[in-house]
Amino acid sequence: MRTKYLVGFLVIMAAIAYLAWGGLGKSLVYYVLPSEYADNPQKYQGKRVRLGGLVKEGSVQFNPKTLQLKFIITDGVVEIPVEHEGTPPELFKDNQGVVVEGKFAGKVFHGDNLLIKHSESYKPPQQGAKLKPEEVRKLLEEAK
Amino acid sequence: MTPGGLGNLSLAFAGLFTVVGLLAALLAWYNRDARYLLVAKRAALLAFLGTLGAFVALEWALLSDDFSVLYVARNSTRANPTWVKFATLWAALEGSILLWALLQTLYTWLAGIRSRDYWTSPVVLTTLFVIQLFFLANVIFVINPFITIPNPPADGPGPNPLLQNHWMMAVHPILMYLGFVGLSVPFAFAIAAMVTRRYQTWIAETKWWLIIAWGFLTAAIYAGGWWSYEVLGWGGYWGWDPVENASFIPWLLATAFLHTAMVQERRGLFRTWNFALVTLAFAATVFGTFLTRSGVIESVHAFAGGPVGPIFLGFLLAILAVGFFLLGRISSEVRDAGTVVPLSREGLLLYGALVLMTMAFVVILGTLFPLLVEAFNGAKVSVGAPFFNQLFVPLGLLMLLLMGLGPVLPWRSADSETLRVVFWMAIALVLGSALGLVVGWTLWVSLTVGFVLYNLVALCWLAFRPIRRRSLVTGEGFLKTAAKVFEQSRRRYGGYTVHLGVIVAVLAIAFSQSYRLDVQKTLAIGEAWKAGGRTITVHTLRALREPYRNSVVADVEISGIGVAHPRLNYYRTSRTPFAAPAVRYTWNKDYYLVLQAYDQKGGEWVTLRLVVTPLVLWLWISAAIIIFGTLLIVWPETARAHVAAAVSEGAEA
Repeated sequence: MRTKYLVGFLVIMAAIAYLAWGGLGKSLVYYVLPSEYADNPQKYQGKRVRLGGLVKEGSVQFNPKTLQLKFIITDGVVEIPVEHEGTPPELFKDNQGVVVEGKFAGKVFHGDNLLIKHSESYKPPQQGAKLKPEEVRKLLEEAK
Repeated sequence: MTPGGLGNLSLAFAGLFTVVGLLAALLAWYNRDARYLLVAKRAALLAFLGTLGAFVALEWALLSDDFSVLYVARNSTRANPTWVKFATLWAALEGSILLWALLQTLYTWLAGIRSRDYWTSPVVLTTLFVIQLFFLANVIFVINPFITIPNPPADGPGPNPLLQNHWMMAVHPILMYLGFVGLSVPFAFAIAAMVTRRYQTWIAETKWWLIIAWGFLTAAIYAGGWWSYEVLGWGGYWGWDPVENASFIPWLLATAFLHTAMVQERRGLFRTWNFALVTLAFAATVFGTFLTRSGVIESVHAFAGGPVGPIFLGFLLAILAVGFFLLGRISSEVRDAGTVVPLSREGLLLYGALVLMTMAFVVILGTLFPLLVEAFNGAKVSVGAPFFNQLFVPLGLLMLLLMGLGPVLPWRSADSETLRVVFWMAIALVLGSALGLVVGWTLWVSLTVGFVLYNLVALCWLAFRPIRRRSLVTGEGFLKTAAKVFEQSRRRYGGYTVHLGVIVAVLAIAFSQSYRLDVQKTLAIGEAWKAGGRTITVHTLRALREPYRNSVVADVEISGIGVAHPRLNYYRTSRTPFAAPAVRYTWNKDYYLVLQAYDQKGGEWVTLRLVVTPLVLWLWISAAIIIFGTLLIVWPETARAHVAAAVSEGAEA
């Protein structure tokens, strides 16, 4: 009697574990900076990714009529062009820390969710200042 | 006297009487002397009055704009309307833990009043006083809201604007804490039962308290979903955010306990399960608080990390250690006397509890997985909604299967009459699913529809069979009999009502998650836009000035429904505007408008987002049904009905 229950329990647990780990592998969303992506682009091709970085100065093009937003995201080393449909949030501007969720399609990143990373104590980097990826990551993490 | 002084004095008073109560309860236990118990109960009242004093003091400071109190200076602002100032008390860490302490002392006092058992009461009160002492010590020594600032600022920054956007924020946290804190009472009863080795009687009393807490928790989860839908402006009511998960885990475990407790009440089985589930459910509330208040998890509504993270983690481990140590000590004494027949009500209740626990495990796994991955290989990941949906859809359908069948099957074994209704339920399942597929719904939605019909057949049979049987015997009319049967087994009908609410909720969730239209467009003023089967026209764009915020409002007409007013609110303290969506419900679909952007120079165009979601109104209706059902269960019975119910239950058993 005991073993019967035990076997049933193990079968159920195995099924759940299979579903869970299989599901987790597919629905994990990686969070990367442009230079981390550039190290291993194959790994992220076709997967959902959250791409963090700064908006490159002078790269923003937005057409309010068609709602097409284009900009370049950078961590000081690697630059990636981003295309996003929808109105940018109010604070979206040059040098702003952002996280875009979406997928890579070739060289371009197609975003469907754009988040601004800012805190009340946020100070944008100085004009023309070059930041290193670690500094960008820190900047993004400090902002909630 | 200043608010800060009154607050600290009240807290000291509450702390003192908590210690007194704890000592008295311990003495009552060791000396077997009921007089000490009376002292402990009175101390519980005094401790409650003390924390109430602290609560009043903080409200006083908030309402009178006393910025010399640190909490007020950090979280309030002069220009806010009174209700926002009042609700600011639970808008940040310190105040919310004070509210927690207040509710804990309230529950301790009420549990003292209701608990009359000579053996278990001292242990119940000891446990509750220890928990209460933990929270009070935190409020007094670690995160004291009444710290005074030597040079008070002229004004403060105000609470998070998202919390000011909707009156629901004044209600949702209180409901949530009433639910969370309410689970401490069943935990205390379980501890008392294990310490005093009285393994059967605790179930009935505990169940009442647990249903109360469960009801508050359910209401709070719904209120949170409603707030998310009506305020956050992303068009959804549930996002598998860690904080939402934190409230969902105890709910799942408490639901599992409610069902296995019924088995113990009736058949004396599952004693070990019940002790473990109550411990886990209470631990899950502390776990949730730890997750959301410690800064380990990033979330939309996490409060800034403070020193409380490790403290709550320690408390969580202590709860689990005490609960399972006691359970281990008595495990040989609480072995089940009988066996579980696989196809009987108790069998299905057991499977149901297993499914609910699996769901809780899935939620914990999904919430903690990012931490695990980061700990192992340093990669930053997040677990999205697809993971939860992938597991919750099959688990939810399995739950629906058990939910329909369980109450239909009799205790111990199946008989021929139940087989007949099971046959009809199966027919409903097949017909419903087939109908869904024919209409063109997805497989999962069709299956959900099938299972909903299957459950409805079961519920109708359960509700009407006792009435018909009785009216056949007595010869009275149907309505008259129905009233009598309902009065005698109100709690059972309450349970059926809750199940009905859950079915309605499942239907609403399946459709609203599967069929959603989400579009954006930039419109000139006066331009018409055909979307989601309606014509949408922007009539005017206007600015609105209120004392504590400025707003830009669009007057948008949805053909056949009326004018909606999506707006952007600008708060003085925030550089980002907050979009307040406008929702217009109809019985089958709702139209959700968000003002995304507008022409800041000439006011000639606006960008609108339209989300059309089916059946969300029914989700809110299901909340009302579930709350109503819960009230039917917990509402105190009149003495006469109580006797009649006992007689009829006895006759049926």
